[in-house]
Amino acid sequence: MKMLTSKIKALFPAKAELSAHCDGPCGVYDPASARIAAEAVVSMTKKMIALEGKTDLDSINNMSRYIAIKEEQAHIAKTEILVLWTDYFKPAHLEQFPELHDVIWETTKLLSHCKQHVDVEATGKLMEKIQQIHSMFWATKGRDVTFYVAS
Amino acid sequence: MRDSNLLDLLLWILRLRLRFRVTGASMFPLLQPGDEVLIDPRAFEKRPPQVGDVVMAQHPTQPGLKIVKRVTAVLPDDHYQISGDNPSASTDSRTFGPVSRQQILGLVTSRFG
Repeated sequence: MKMLTSKIKALFPAKAELSAHCDGPCGVYDPASARIAAEAVVSMTKKMIALEGKTDLDSINNMSRYIAIKEEQAHIAKTEILVLWTDYFKPAHLEQFPELHDVIWETTKLLSHCKQHVDVEATGKLMEKIQQIHSMFWATKGRDVTFYVAS
Repeated sequence: MRDSNLLDLLLWILRLRLRFRVTGASMFPLLQPGDEVLIDPRAFEKRPPQVGDVVMAQHPTQPGLKIVKRVTAVLPDDHYQISGDNPSASTDSRTFGPVSRQQILGLVTSRFG
């Protein structure tokens, strides 16, 4: 019976919508904020490498700014991800994505690594992980949202 | 919530059940976005809504918006408190107050598919 109704649903999805309605809080969670912060980490890492070896005062000044921004944005990304993890994701989501805990752990660990080091390879892995979280998040909402990056 | 059986399917074919696709997450984990349900629009001609019923209601301030919530209290004068199962992502009677019997449009009888 379930096979039959599933088939009907797949072939002829119901057109009428019934809203499990939410005015506000539904839009509160969005992995985009973690992605934007992580992209700043990627960008600052590249800028630091480009500036390596320069000793004029402006360069030293810029270098310290890049470091500060990298540190700050990595922390913001980490906070955003941990908020998604603890506030948004529910046990049923974990059943859907058993790898959820591991992915969160690896992503936040990578963010710590990106703070401690100037490691382009790690920032690449970081963006892959952020994309994985993005995909899981939107899959739980039954939506296919494209992952955009600025750079 | 139970899955649709042959009788439900028959009632749907006879247009005694309405079929809807759920959007939004306020009834999570019972109903997830994309789930489909069957609704009996005449269920409350036989009996009044009661606590625990998952119902289709007319949003009190947004004309045309049909919402799915659970009846969580029966109030005086044929009014009902309706709530999402997922309170952190639900706009319900906490915001728009109780709904009247006329605003309750049907009972969710089964999951479809």
